[in-house]
Amino acid sequence: MKPILWLASLRHLKRHPLQMALSILGIALGVAVVVAVDLANESARRAFDLSMQSITGSATHQIIGGPGGLDESLYADLRRQGVAPVSAPLVSGYLAQGDQTLQLLGVDPFAEQQFRNLISYLPDKSQESALPQLLTQPGALLMTAARAASLGLQVGQTFELTISGQQRQALLAGLYQPPQQQAAAMQDLLLADISTAQELLGRIGRLSRIDLILPADGSSIQSAIEAALPAGARLVPVGSRSSAMQEMTRAFGINLTAMSLLALVVGLFLIYNTLSFSVLQRRELLGNLRVLGATRRDIFTLVLGEGVLIGGIGTLLGLLLGVLLAQELLALVTRTINDLYFVLTVSELSLDPIGMAKGALLGLGGTAVAVLAPASEAAMSPPRAVLNRSRVEGSARRLLLPLGMTGVVCILLALLLLLPGHSLILGFFALFILILGFSLFTPAVVAMSCRWAAPLFGRLFGTLGRMAIRGVEASLSRTGVAIAALSIAVSATVGMGVMVDSFRSSVQQWLHTTLQADIYIVPLAPSGTSSETVLDPALITAIEQLPGISEVSQGRPVKLQSATAITRLLAIRMTQKSYAGIELLEGDPETVWPRFDREQVVLISEPYAYRHDLRLGDQIQLETDRGRRAFQVAGVYRDYSSDQGMISMRLSLYRQLWDDESIYSIGLYLQPGVDTATIAGEVAALAAGKQALRIRSTRALLEASLETFDHTFAITRVLRLLVIGVAFIGILSALMALQLERARELAVLRATGLTPGQLWGLVTAQTGFMGLISGLLALPLGLLLATLLIHVINRRAFGWSMDLIVPGGVLLDALLLAVAAALLAGLYPAWRMAQTPPARALREE
Amino acid sequence: MRTLLIGLLLLATLMGWWLHSHQQPAEAERFSVGGALGGIPAEGFKCAIEPRSFRFPQDHGAHPGFRNEWWYFTGNLRTEQGRHFGFQLVFFRTALAPGEPQGASPWRTHQVWMAHFALTDTEAEQFHAFERFNREAIGLAGVKAEPFALWLDDWSVREQDDGWLLSVAEGDLSLTLKLTPQRPPLLQGSGGLSQKSAGPGNASYYYSIPRLRAEGEVSLHGQRYQVSGLSWLDREWGTSALSEEQTGWDWFSLQLDDGSDLMFYRLRHKDGSIDPYSAGSWSQPDGSLIKLAADDVQLDVLEQWASPKGGRYPLHWRLQIPGHGLDLRISPVIDNQELDLIIRYWEGAIEASGTRNDKPVRGQGYLELTGYGE
Repeated sequence: MKPILWLASLRHLKRHPLQMALSILGIALGVAVVVAVDLANESARRAFDLSMQSITGSATHQIIGGPGGLDESLYADLRRQGVAPVSAPLVSGYLAQGDQTLQLLGVDPFAEQQFRNLISYLPDKSQESALPQLLTQPGALLMTAARAASLGLQVGQTFELTISGQQRQALLAGLYQPPQQQAAAMQDLLLADISTAQELLGRIGRLSRIDLILPADGSSIQSAIEAALPAGARLVPVGSRSSAMQEMTRAFGINLTAMSLLALVVGLFLIYNTLSFSVLQRRELLGNLRVLGATRRDIFTLVLGEGVLIGGIGTLLGLLLGVLLAQELLALVTRTINDLYFVLTVSELSLDPIGMAKGALLGLGGTAVAVLAPASEAAMSPPRAVLNRSRVEGSARRLLLPLGMTGVVCILLALLLLLPGHSLILGFFALFILILGFSLFTPAVVAMSCRWAAPLFGRLFGTLGRMAIRGVEASLSRTGVAIAALSIAVSATVGMGVMVDSFRSSVQQWLHTTLQADIYIVPLAPSGTSSETVLDPALITAIEQLPGISEVSQGRPVKLQSATAITRLLAIRMTQKSYAGIELLEGDPETVWPRFDREQVVLISEPYAYRHDLRLGDQIQLETDRGRRAFQVAGVYRDYSSDQGMISMRLSLYRQLWDDESIYSIGLYLQPGVDTATIAGEVAALAAGKQALRIRSTRALLEASLETFDHTFAITRVLRLLVIGVAFIGILSALMALQLERARELAVLRATGLTPGQLWGLVTAQTGFMGLISGLLALPLGLLLATLLIHVINRRAFGWSMDLIVPGGVLLDALLLAVAAALLAGLYPAWRMAQTPPARALREE
Repeated sequence: MRTLLIGLLLLATLMGWWLHSHQQPAEAERFSVGGALGGIPAEGFKCAIEPRSFRFPQDHGAHPGFRNEWWYFTGNLRTEQGRHFGFQLVFFRTALAPGEPQGASPWRTHQVWMAHFALTDTEAEQFHAFERFNREAIGLAGVKAEPFALWLDDWSVREQDDGWLLSVAEGDLSLTLKLTPQRPPLLQGSGGLSQKSAGPGNASYYYSIPRLRAEGEVSLHGQRYQVSGLSWLDREWGTSALSEEQTGWDWFSLQLDDGSDLMFYRLRHKDGSIDPYSAGSWSQPDGSLIKLAADDVQLDVLEQWASPKGGRYPLHWRLQIPGHGLDLRISPVIDNQELDLIIRYWEGAIEASGTRNDKPVRGQGYLELTGYGE
């Protein structure tokens, strides 16, 4: 019996290849997006871990200092006192070689052996001559053979490096070959003696950190070391810095994952649609089978099996597709991390089996859940009733009210979940419940609107118009789902579109306020390295003396490391006009600025206040080079430059408390009537041959900032398109199924005189109506989603607030998108029905 | 005399910090003497060519114009109950290139340092050996003549009162000794110029302080022992070097109970023959000095010891100076005093007993054997 059942099922699937193909594609796309996002996230994380590992080696602890690092004499003191016998100093920094960002790691070979063992990667004896060179030759460094090949360098050759925009001479003293598993992480690593690194990076006398290996029970050693540390130097376990960095990108990762799940949800609607439709299509066959003795269990298993088959193939395809897609996403993810968080090179996609398994599980599990309803629908009905199409619709209609009620409860629950709290995951959970509620609610809305629309369409298009609407209502169990799927997809684009637009316009507004100077100057350096990049002080002095400049602001962004977190601090020397550039969200400008200029206070950005739950008047503790100091929060200001939040303090206070005289950026305020381009040209002339600068007018900087913003959100845009893609396939397959199912009904109409043209009109009216409803439903849901994304998700993920701005265009686009998608999806069924001679359609039954 | 060892050690050092790992202990042994000496060219360095006048305390300090230099402390110590310890603490300086380095970083230097510390726990038949490396920069390692200070990390020898304070610790093992010279510096070779092989400049400047009173404390696995005894300081600096066929040497230092101090080194050739440049000295309690040439000393191996790491070291000897009536049998306090560090060699405490002019004489000292481990 059973094999025959399977054959019947197979035959059915074979007879409807397009339907099957579409739902397989839908699942495949959904799974692909989830897998791709997961793989891209995971690859970035792995690359981060590996590069951390290759750089920290077997260190268990680190001694870290302020932004200027540590005084190197600390290392000598610890060594001479014998308190830190297994220790290694390190000087590291970033440099540019062409468009590549490379990390320069300066190590002390005498101390290295037990840490990274980097030098054991030197391949053969011919390299031994490289070793004395590293110590004695200024600029001598090592790189991997692959890197040397890509730069076209031979051992012994001198070449130029760009560090902080300044050209430096380097010498390729040798090649090293890291072991396979480290190769990717180390290919952007240049190794040098610590003296060379200090000279190249301009960090004479300073160390980036000191690595230590302490025994597991080394608490007495720890306290001995801590006792020997000067103010501002801290001993931290090695994992803390990397976990603090990982934490920075956590919210970013969650956002991507949530968006990928949305794609999968839409994909699941699809499979539900397809399978319940195929159950309907075969109601006669299934009924006959039941009459012939197939048990409910058989039928249930049969439908479930079909679902699992479709889901399985789709999932498999999705995994393959996901790997391909992940390659593309990885570049976007990496770029965003580099723009927003820290320098990270991810050279290869790591095919994390867990990520793949998760995707597969989601695909198969989701399919199973989506198939449960149609499978039990098929199995639970008595033999005769299966034959009866209207019975299904009848039970669907009876479900309308409970479904709608559940939907309303879901929506309310979602709104309730959002009330208090900082949990991003809960925020996304609420978002999904809201969407679920809305889709449960949709069929009831469809039924209601059909009742209103039927007379209207009747008046407009006559009987055919009324028939079109009634047709939608009559197949509510299908149309409801299709409309729900389409409106979710469209509302997602509305929500994300509105959110990104609102964000962009808030950022634009903020940039207009913030950028008060006429010209901004920073060194030309790789993205993400501003805290390690320094403007040549002599050049600053020269620029300040240019005629035509009235005032110069100075900025020094740094990252303060503590045992648990990395804090961004911006030290600024304000000018008269700078004050207007900071929009205070808390604090009265009249009192804030005099305090800022004189007292030991700081301003904090909105995300910082949100993340640390700080208000005006609260205290912040910071590790300075003079020890731990408390600062009062004098104000909270709007800032979109860092989702981690930022602390601002006046430059003179910063220099009192930290041993760091560096400046990263200056802003020139010109005297009235002085031409911006002229001054920019003079600055460029001053800098020529000394330091490569990025000299930008306010307008250019504004544009560049918005461009950065846009490419940061490129990944959002891509995901949005993918979600729509899945939804379009969903609506196409649903509508097609719907129209094909009505083949007989339409054939009867054709036989009784309906022309092909009228048939086209009927189908078009029907799909257009469905698209319209989807679109109309998508608008409120989309706006609700946008509100949630802005006030809950963005707030929780990034800590910043923004104004909700709804551009009319986005709403109209959404409506058009829905209708167009629906109409497009109706084309093929209409064409097919019009082509088929009525007699054949009738015979097929 | 130990130029050979030094050249080898320091060159090996250079590669060693990079290449050596505990998984590959054999790594450092690949370097042959000739190959290693080829590493840093001697051009540009000063050479020990003619006798010079020594001045103290200045000459206790560095002579950076020469490629290699070392400070070599060895000694035999006893607790009041007679428990015996031997120790060796040696600081090697080598220059990677002649002259001053270019570059603004304080880390930039041509001078690199290595130190070996070994302690022989005779009663427990235990031998402990450690090594350290660093560069002469930002105070990590170096030497100063006045007041005398010689250090690498926390291993140091510093001037204190009328002598020096030696202080070294590694793990749960430490040694603190007050060293007080009992004799003035003794110039070895010809007025301090010690020729190692044919050719001008194949020599070093070499002086010793053969007797320093040592008093202090050994701390071992949490146990402290008050100790006293005698120490020996060897100082040598030079640039090159040995001839191709010289493969290793046997170096003896002995403090005899008649108040005399004997030093003799024997340079060996690849073919097993003895190099005519082998030499030594025997200083008498009255201050007179007997110079020893290769032919003056008769050395016979009585017994060899097979190192578990490979190679056989001659540890039991008969040393005779027929011209002066000395006949000694020499044996190590324990066999295994092999330093398995960046380079493998044997250096350990020895005892001697025999006759001088038919009168019984006993002594203690140190023996260094190189070139046997390969």
